[in-house]
Amino acid sequence: MKPFSYARATDLADAFRHLRSGAVPLAGGTDLLGLMKAGIAAPEKVVDISGIAELRGWTRTRGKGLRIGPLTPLVDLETASDLGAQVPIIAEALRPAATPQLRTMGTAGGNLLQENRCWYFRDEAFPCWRKGGTRCFAIDGDNRQHAILGAEDCVAVAPSDLAPALIALDAEVTLQSGRGSRTIPLAALYVAPQGKVRREHQIRAGELITEIRIAEAALGRSGAFEKAMERRAWSFATVSVAVSARMKDGKARDVRIVLGGVAPIPWRARSAEARVDGQVLDDAACAAAADAALEGAAPLRDNGYKVPLARELVRRALRRIA
Amino acid sequence: MTGRIVRNRVEFEGVVTEELALVDGTDLASYADDAALTAIGKRTTRVDGPQRVTGQARYTQDIALPGMLHVRILRSPYPRARIRKVDASRALALPGVRGVLHRFNAPKAAFRGEDTIFREEVRFVGDEVAAIAADDEATAADALALLSVDYEVLPYVVDLEDAIRDDAPRLDEKGNVTEGGSYARGDAPRALKAAGDVVEATYRTATQLHNSLETHSAVAAWDGDDLTVWESTQHVFGVRQGLKVALGIPFARIRVICDYMGGGFGSKGGAGKYTIVAALFARQLGRPVRCVLTRHEENLAAGNRSATLQTVKIGARRGRITAIEHVSWSNSGQGKWVANPTGPTNGLYDIPNVRTRSWRVVTNTGALAAFRAPGYVEGTFALESAIDELAERIGVDPLALRLRHARRMTDPQTGKRYSLKRLVDCFEIGAREIGWDRRRAEGVRGSAPHRRRGFGVAGQYWGGGGGPPAYATVHLDPDGSVVVRAGTQDIGTGTRTILAQIAAEELGVAVDRVRVEIGDTSSPYGPISAGSLTVASVGPAIRLAAADARVQLLQAAAGLLEVRASELRLAGGNIVSAGARTPIGDVLSKIDNYTVIGRGSRHPNPEAFSLKTFGAQFAEVEVDTRTGDVFVQHIVAVHDIGRIVNPLTAASQVEGGVIQGLGFALTEERILDRPTGRVLNANLEGYKVPTIRDVPKITVRFIDVPDRRANNLGSKGLGEPPIIPTPAAIGNAVANAIGVRVRTTPITPARVLEALALR
Repeated sequence: MKPFSYARATDLADAFRHLRSGAVPLAGGTDLLGLMKAGIAAPEKVVDISGIAELRGWTRTRGKGLRIGPLTPLVDLETASDLGAQVPIIAEALRPAATPQLRTMGTAGGNLLQENRCWYFRDEAFPCWRKGGTRCFAIDGDNRQHAILGAEDCVAVAPSDLAPALIALDAEVTLQSGRGSRTIPLAALYVAPQGKVRREHQIRAGELITEIRIAEAALGRSGAFEKAMERRAWSFATVSVAVSARMKDGKARDVRIVLGGVAPIPWRARSAEARVDGQVLDDAACAAAADAALEGAAPLRDNGYKVPLARELVRRALRRIA
Repeated sequence: MTGRIVRNRVEFEGVVTEELALVDGTDLASYADDAALTAIGKRTTRVDGPQRVTGQARYTQDIALPGMLHVRILRSPYPRARIRKVDASRALALPGVRGVLHRFNAPKAAFRGEDTIFREEVRFVGDEVAAIAADDEATAADALALLSVDYEVLPYVVDLEDAIRDDAPRLDEKGNVTEGGSYARGDAPRALKAAGDVVEATYRTATQLHNSLETHSAVAAWDGDDLTVWESTQHVFGVRQGLKVALGIPFARIRVICDYMGGGFGSKGGAGKYTIVAALFARQLGRPVRCVLTRHEENLAAGNRSATLQTVKIGARRGRITAIEHVSWSNSGQGKWVANPTGPTNGLYDIPNVRTRSWRVVTNTGALAAFRAPGYVEGTFALESAIDELAERIGVDPLALRLRHARRMTDPQTGKRYSLKRLVDCFEIGAREIGWDRRRAEGVRGSAPHRRRGFGVAGQYWGGGGGPPAYATVHLDPDGSVVVRAGTQDIGTGTRTILAQIAAEELGVAVDRVRVEIGDTSSPYGPISAGSLTVASVGPAIRLAAADARVQLLQAAAGLLEVRASELRLAGGNIVSAGARTPIGDVLSKIDNYTVIGRGSRHPNPEAFSLKTFGAQFAEVEVDTRTGDVFVQHIVAVHDIGRIVNPLTAASQVEGGVIQGLGFALTEERILDRPTGRVLNANLEGYKVPTIRDVPKITVRFIDVPDRRANNLGSKGLGEPPIIPTPAAIGNAVANAIGVRVRTTPITPARVLEALALR
């Protein structure tokens, strides 16, 4: 590992000072340290932000929605019984994520900003396109874990389980730097690496996520999360699906269908959402939405199984909120 | 005592060889079936459990010696290349770097048929190119990047089926494919022609990686001409042999120690290149040297279970299996041998016409290493899958079909009678435990929508009879303490505990009065902890050593008590004579500073009998037909290994084997990038061993009938049997559940969905 300097930020202003001089933020470290050990990330300076108390914890204010501090450990969101009762989809998404150790160290913000798990990206020896090289090794390599939707130059998939769940609740994130802040939909945080863009998030150098917010209206929706894995724990999703909808008189409104593990970004299946908007979520409607969600899927040599799998998880998730 | 030479047939991992061994004295008869034993057969917690769980147990990686240097190894990034030049000047200039070894400066050191550990031509991604010793591991790792190596990349092939093809680059003078073994009885081709029903199918199994908890590691230190090596190994004497050959120094100058080890599963059978590197650096630099493989290296260069391609042709006539032809190709990588996947076909069932052939295929991948029943796990998957396919074709219950071929008491390969065979009992007990009567030929409904439930069975046989040479001494101190000394090692199976029980039984003392000293070449010779042979090889020698010590002790006591030795016996820590019991310590305190040393050696196996272990496992699974998920609900494992010395550690062994078999069946697969030969999942996140959430309910049953013909304990080995039938039982259960067979392991959701789509 390349030597690096380490500083511990005392508060947000201190963190921004370090970030301005090129430091890379360290929260739980569950992704960054792995990238550094593998030689994929080689920061000269690391600023440890894990001690910034104001970024930790979550608050639910009636009428004002839910605010999640980005340094909240995943395990806190998973196990808080009052949160679980009000917004069960968050705990549902976190329970099968990683391992208890990783969920204890990992933070909400870090989870949303983790890099993809492509084995060509993660192996220093492959000078892949995403790392500045000329080609994607997965396209003609072993691509069983790769994208079936929306991928061009890089076929790695968005790995987070939390992101689809939060996007299904129209979450917003506030990105702040020493110079100011902006609030964007969480969905807009994600960019597909293609063309001139060789990254997965549109966060800028010097910025931190300082808040994750879900509006009151979205908290009232029904939600469900489904995840398929290669084993029962410690496995990134081969496919994950988060759905939410406002159920009224048996009909679904404001439907959100978001897939993980199938595209370079958390994938909103808008045509599928439209298919069931205002509908009773019966078998036929859910199946039709599931078909719509996978329209245009372009599997690679080894990942054709993701198409029927994703279709089934979409159908199941929708049926569960019917 | 007088020694004599015996000729002994030894079965080790499916291969029978004849060896000469020296044995001492005369053997004892096996305990009677109804002998009232006080230590053997009792559930006994591990004598070293507290040390292990409190961190006091010292593993090789815990060894820290003053001035110790650390080694990291540069490994080939190419599957095949000639090393034209190595420039180490920049690495050597890095502060803290103490030495570099590579093909141009390393001393000759014979290793596995070659005369150097740094080849001119590296032959797989991960092959050793150079090694660096430095003050700490990080410095050594940093220095690797400063080595400049000029590689000439050569044509290569990494995939088993690619390597078989005529147009594949030729990696070996004899070609990429060489025969690993063949066997025939009867006339299988003719019998298949005459068979009413014939099933022919192709099976594939993936490369499985050992992933022992403790990676391969060695620490070497010289004291003058004397070398001490601490190594995480299954065979301290094997490491000593490897060092003798590599360094050209006599046994007397080498001591190898393995106090505790974190698993091996067959991959730690002798000295590795890392061992020799540590010894060479330690000699050259005059300081102790530690070489520990990283998890990544472990998954490239520390061995694997070969991937296989297997074809089975099996025929039936009038409801019985009449013939099998089984051909297997195994990816040995750069290994110089091949495990035999056709072994189970040759010997498990009584089938009149059998013809099998096994081929070794070389590729530019890491060498295979023995892996818990090498060949037999892969082969049993193919054999037992094919038997189920045939049973389905002829409309016979798969268990009933097996039972028709499981009763014969004669080994079909040798014509000898089995010393003991309770395979039918294993099947019958297992069927009851799993609820086989709930099985339907077409599967049954599962517990949730789109779920199907199925049941599967598979049988198993293996050696496990052990044999000489194995020696032990038992020391008695005047206070009645017992020290057992044997050159075996505890691979994690509970060897220390079991040997303590055997000595305690013979000496009539509590198990906690016995200290077991193993894992040291200063002790009497012990065999490799592999091949399911430790208890059956070392155990009888311990019993004889303890008995010898007891005789000596009673003779001494007889003199002190002024009675005849024949009137004395040992029980409950006392010397018992007619009407009186005196604590051992009370008697011996009168003769301070005296050590009774009992000696024992393993006597040969009976010539007239075939010694095998048998077992049967049953699986109950549910399969989600929409997601391809396989949910294993229950595994029943019934094993016939003679007398059980410790039911607690034996059950642990079975559970571990089943879990490793579950991984082989469902999740474990080394994934190779075919264009570059790199392992894509050389880590524990990407290489998916089962987690505790993947582990189903496991029911363990033993026949627990002593095999009194086998040895003086009546016990056989258990290391390998429990992994052998698990994947086949699961595969058969999946096929029963969904009505379509996945013939490739691991049986992933992707493969299940693919099979269902083709239905």
